[in-house]
Amino acid sequence: MKMRKVFNWQLKRRVSYVYPQSRPKRQWAMIFDLNKCIACQTCSLACKTTWTSGKGQEYMFWNNVETKPYGGYPVAWDLGILSKLKAQEWRGDKYFGKTLFEAAEKDEKILQHISEDEDWAYPNIGEDEISGMVNRGDWIATLPHRIWMFYLPRTCAHCTYPACLAACPRKAIYKRPEDGIVLIDQSKCRGYRECVRSCPYKKSMFNVETRISEKCLGCYPKIEQGEMPQCVTNCIGKIRLTGFVSTPDNSRKDNPIDYLIHEKKLALPLYPQFGLEPNIYFIPPIHVPITFQEQMFGPGVGKAVETYKNIKDDQTLKGLLVLFGSFEKILHSFKVDREHAYGFDEKGKEIINVPVTEPIYVRDVFDKDLKAYRHNTP
Amino acid sequence: MTKILKHIDTTHPRLGSEVKMVKKTICFLFCLLIFIPSAHAERRRFVEVVSHRLDMDVSKVGLDTEVWKSINPYRHPLQEQFLEVPKPVEVGVKEIFVQSIHDGKHISFRLAWKDETKDDSIGLMNFSDGAALQFPVNKEELPEYFMGEEKKPVHILYWKAWRSKDLRDGFQTTKSAYPNMTTDIYTFDYPVKGKGTEKTQAEKDIFIPGKAAKNPLSFPIKGIIAELSATGPGTITFKNIENTSGDARWENGEWTVIFRRPLTVKDSESVQFKLGEKMPVAFAVWEGSRMESAGRKAVSPAWAEVEVEK
Repeated sequence: MKMRKVFNWQLKRRVSYVYPQSRPKRQWAMIFDLNKCIACQTCSLACKTTWTSGKGQEYMFWNNVETKPYGGYPVAWDLGILSKLKAQEWRGDKYFGKTLFEAAEKDEKILQHISEDEDWAYPNIGEDEISGMVNRGDWIATLPHRIWMFYLPRTCAHCTYPACLAACPRKAIYKRPEDGIVLIDQSKCRGYRECVRSCPYKKSMFNVETRISEKCLGCYPKIEQGEMPQCVTNCIGKIRLTGFVSTPDNSRKDNPIDYLIHEKKLALPLYPQFGLEPNIYFIPPIHVPITFQEQMFGPGVGKAVETYKNIKDDQTLKGLLVLFGSFEKILHSFKVDREHAYGFDEKGKEIINVPVTEPIYVRDVFDKDLKAYRHNTP
Repeated sequence: MTKILKHIDTTHPRLGSEVKMVKKTICFLFCLLIFIPSAHAERRRFVEVVSHRLDMDVSKVGLDTEVWKSINPYRHPLQEQFLEVPKPVEVGVKEIFVQSIHDGKHISFRLAWKDETKDDSIGLMNFSDGAALQFPVNKEELPEYFMGEEKKPVHILYWKAWRSKDLRDGFQTTKSAYPNMTTDIYTFDYPVKGKGTEKTQAEKDIFIPGKAAKNPLSFPIKGIIAELSATGPGTITFKNIENTSGDARWENGEWTVIFRRPLTVKDSESVQFKLGEKMPVAFAVWEGSRMESAGRKAVSPAWAEVEVEK
């Protein structure tokens, strides 16, 4: 079939896609700081109680949190497609390998890994499992850790070049021009499951009760009200931020999303080599070996980890990270001064300010008035 | 080739003395099929099915009615759908046997094909066995035989094995698909009664997106055959009428399915059969265990024809 060429800035080259390039006016994007996720699953349940509490949705987690290296929902979704794509080449920060569209088998649109029913039945498999055996006498002395694990929260990436949309024979999947959110038209879908087969991140899901497919909505009704999604505002670890990402040439330094992705290159896309230009971005964990992470987040991981380690000397970055999880509204711009970080809405109105460093109060161990010792036990 | 012609010699009821001429024609068309891969419908219409006129109520003829034994089935070859990506590399069903009868009011088609696996249960990645008959709405302006064309719609009669199981055992649900599943509570499905717990089905259905969006796939239909129209690949829509009834059975590795409907109906977008005339028809079959769905299907190599006996 005739493939089109579209520009993928994450791979720094033109890639194959089913449709011609058509970027939305602005693009929904989410950033996760993986150093802070504790896999409490509050995001998963915030999403579940909001969107997938109905019949046929029992197994669905539009938002899930899995433990790497072994966890995955559905089981081995990533290993499945990676082993099909095989080793591919980056040269510097430019991708020379094949994307999933470019590696498609004959008479297929995209290379696919198909998850079986049972793969969806263990949403938290591999939880807290560490990468290898702990030896007697082991202790954590250096970064990265010799034995490690980390949590990976995931939603639909509302890709710039969505596989689900490209695969749908009915054009029942569309990408909203106003915010780039990708939706399945529930009145048009016929349950062919081409999207379920094709999405490499496995975020299109089939509902056996309605016999059609569903996916994460990016909480578009909240986005339309200028608010961040449920999984973001309910995150107790304050690891998430939602906003709009620009292309690198249009990056705005005062846009918190652009600042983290383009200016500081601290937040990186998940499996950019798939070629879909996904719009969920991860701040890589500093304790995990770089080689493992490069496969997930591309060649920028090493620098991102260094940037994160030096964050204490970067007032702007430090300030921006404390803005995470402090409010419900979408931030369109931010600024940081010596003491505070400020967030502004689309009209430039201040909607939040927080101290960059929380004040610390030290009290005496013995309270003379109460004649009692203060314990530091939680 | 000789084998096919022999088969036609013995199975075609109308050949008789005309067999030589038909052989020539078939040879010519067969060569066309091999050497001209384009899908121009007019040139590639090569199979003819006769719908025999009988003096009986065809609307009441079932799968096992004696009459089918006296009607020779036409072997109809199927091939991989080859026009739209994704195209299947191979398909599970490579031939079907077609019989047709009518009584001047109703017409019935009986399709039979080998399929070792019965795929009629719903599941996340279970795909249904299925079969479809496709007719042009206006045969004078015949569209490409595959799903019609813009302004040249086709009328499709679509049977899905899921629907047969629905009809027999009740509309399949998550619980019937996964009986060991447990759920605490569904929204608005309160286990206790009291103020605020009385919710209508429509209120509960708000939490079931397909139903809330009124997608016809999410609701039971009366029979097992859905009527659809299309004006090209990917354009299927429900006609919201049910003039076609059917029966289906899987036994000993074979599906037998009946599609029956009135020869003529009021709806101008539906197929209308006229006595003594030929109507183009195309077939499609899906083999669920091979995950065949949408364009991943076995199709007629071109328009065939059904001649409605006077």
